[in-house]
Parts: sequence; structure tokens; C-alpha cells
Amino acid sequence: MRRYEATNEILTAIGDELVICNIGHPSQEIFTLRDRPENFYMFGSMGLSSSIGLGVAMAQDRKVIAMDGDGSVTMNMGTLATIGLVRPKNYMLIIIDNMAYGSTGFQRSFTADNLRLEDVAAGSGVEKVLVITEQEQIASTISGLLKEDGPHVIVIKCEPGMPEGIGVIPIDGMAVRDRFMGAAKSDG
Amino acid sequence: MSTQTAVKSNSPAGKLYERVRNHGVDFFVSVPCSLLGEVIEILETDEEVTYTPVTREEEGIGILAGAYLAGRTPAIVMQNSGYGNIVNAVCSLTNYYNIPIVMLVSHRGSAGERIDAQVPMGDAVQGVMEASGVKCLSVEGPSDLDSVDEGIVWALANEKSIAFLLPFSYWQEAESYVPEHR
Repeated sequence: MRRYEATNEILTAIGDELVICNIGHPSQEIFTLRDRPENFYMFGSMGLSSSIGLGVAMAQDRKVIAMDGDGSVTMNMGTLATIGLVRPKNYMLIIIDNMAYGSTGFQRSFTADNLRLEDVAAGSGVEKVLVITEQEQIASTISGLLKEDGPHVIVIKCEPGMPEGIGVIPIDGMAVRDRFMGAAKSDG
Repeated sequence: MSTQTAVKSNSPAGKLYERVRNHGVDFFVSVPCSLLGEVIEILETDEEVTYTPVTREEEGIGILAGAYLAGRTPAIVMQNSGYGNIVNAVCSLTNYYNIPIVMLVSHRGSAGERIDAQVPMGDAVQGVMEASGVKCLSVEGPSDLDSVDEGIVWALANEKSIAFLLPFSYWQEAESYVPEHR
């Protein structure tokens, strides 16, 4: 399974959740496949997708999904400690673990060697940690878990890969912000 | 100020906290500093705010950005050394998306500092804040707290972050405060 195939499966499981989209290819891909006001595209601040999602989840009651990558979570690994401390019921962190820094040229990441982010999450106090390795399990598993209380940390193991025809997102930060804030304000 | 809040309102920490809360700031993160001990104790007991400690200041900026996107009014409580850990997040997240963060920053390395190693970042912090687009006001004592009111009003109206530097002189009156764990 390639990374973009995993993303595609996740998007089919998403309903009205607020979604924080990680910097680089992941945001570009989600914008192309399924743009919606409930998506916040993080154009900078690598590492902070999980943290932004945690803040949204702590601030209001709607379900929040933070889409993140293994390289980004590794850059901000303290986030797992804080998620394990706060444990918001309405929070799901999805780490697409392609063992590479895809957006910067596919350099090897730490999970290609010894790092197991699922173990760090569990060791941080997150009780519902799940590893998915099969593409056909992604959509049904995530839509099932979204009906339960979280927090959930889901690690999807895959190969690097970006489809053709994905490019820079043509809307600016203020537009992304304003429509997300409008969507977050509504009851979903 | 909430009646449930265990604010020792005559202390420098209590006075600062009350000013900030009066502007609707209702979502906080903190990283410890000895000068901020009482502010952090107040945060732990104020049931009317959302609060979590964070592992590092940069993570805190991410959480606060999310809180603002969800309609809350966020603040970080940290030492000036922590500003060095958030410069990229401030520039590419909160400044870029016009997300205002109120920063309550104890100023180590200011007059009265006894640890030499705190001085270089203490000297640098104002310039680093200004270079990264965050307005910075030094609050020399509790009698200067009107500048906090004015600063927060400006920051929220303009969707800009603002930092209040709180040097040793601000906390001098705090000597009468004895934390429970002592």
C-alpha cells in the first residue's frame, strides 16, 4: 500500500469530523481528493498537526482527526505525552507511517529503523492504539472507531508514494482559517 | 474573576492572572518556571478555563492555534528561554494565519539573575520576539499592569500575538507567597 492509497481510504471513512491536514504532500493530496471547509491545511510549522488537532479537540466537543506523518510526529514526539495526559474523547490521531520524509525527497525516517511510534503512544498513556497494515481494513476500522470514545492513535504502515496531478493548494492561509473557523462554529 | 478560583489576588501572580482573564482569555498551556509557580497553581485550580501543561513550548503554540480556530482565546505561560523554541511555529503558524496568542513570559536573565547561563537568552529575547513579529512589552511591576490590558485589547482586535515579559522586578512582591509543596 502506498501512502496516497492509505489517505484515500481514510477519506472515505470521514463524515463531518474536523480534520487537521499535515504540511506538504498530505495536505495537497487531501485538498485534491476531498476539499471541505472542515479541513485545516497546515502550510508551515512541521510537527504541529497533532498539536493543532489536540487544541481543537480540547476547545470544543466535535470529533477531531489529526492527519499526521511519522517524520512529523517524530519531530514533536512530546505531543504523544500530552495526548496521553489530556486524553480527549473526541480526538483521533492518524499517523501515516511511510518510513520516509516524503515531502522533502523521501529521506529515510526513524521508523525505517528502530522507532515504533505506536509503542511511544501506548507508553504515554493512550489506551486505544491500533496499527493497520492492510489497505482494505482502513476505511471500516476508522469509521468504526469514530463511533467510539477516544482518544485513538492509529498508525498505518505503508510505502511512500504520491499520485500524479497533485500540486500546491491554490487558496491562501486566511481563507483556510476563516472557513475552518466557520465550520468549527457550526454544530456539524 | 471566578469565585471558585483560588487566586491570591493581591500577589503579583494573582493580579496578572486576573487582568488576563478579564479579557476573556480562557485557554492556557504552560511550561514550568520557578517565577511562574503561582500562576501555574492558579491554572490548575481554575475550573473556568481549559488548561494543560505541555512538554515543550512549540507544542503549546500548536495546541493554542487549534484552540483559537475553535473559537477560544488562548495564552501560553512560559519562561523567555521557551521563546527560542517557538520561533518557527510563531512565524509559519500563528503569524501566518493571524492567530493571536497572549504570551506571559517570565524574564530570566533580567536584573537580579543569579545564573549566568540565563543571561544570553535573557538579553536576546526582546530582539528575537520583534524580529519574529511579536509585539513585546516589559512589565516591570504590578503597577504597570494597565499596559497588559492595553496590549491584550490591541492583540485581540488586530489578531496579532503579544508577549508580556515579566522580569525579576515584577515578582519581587511575591516573596510573601509560599507554595504548598515547600
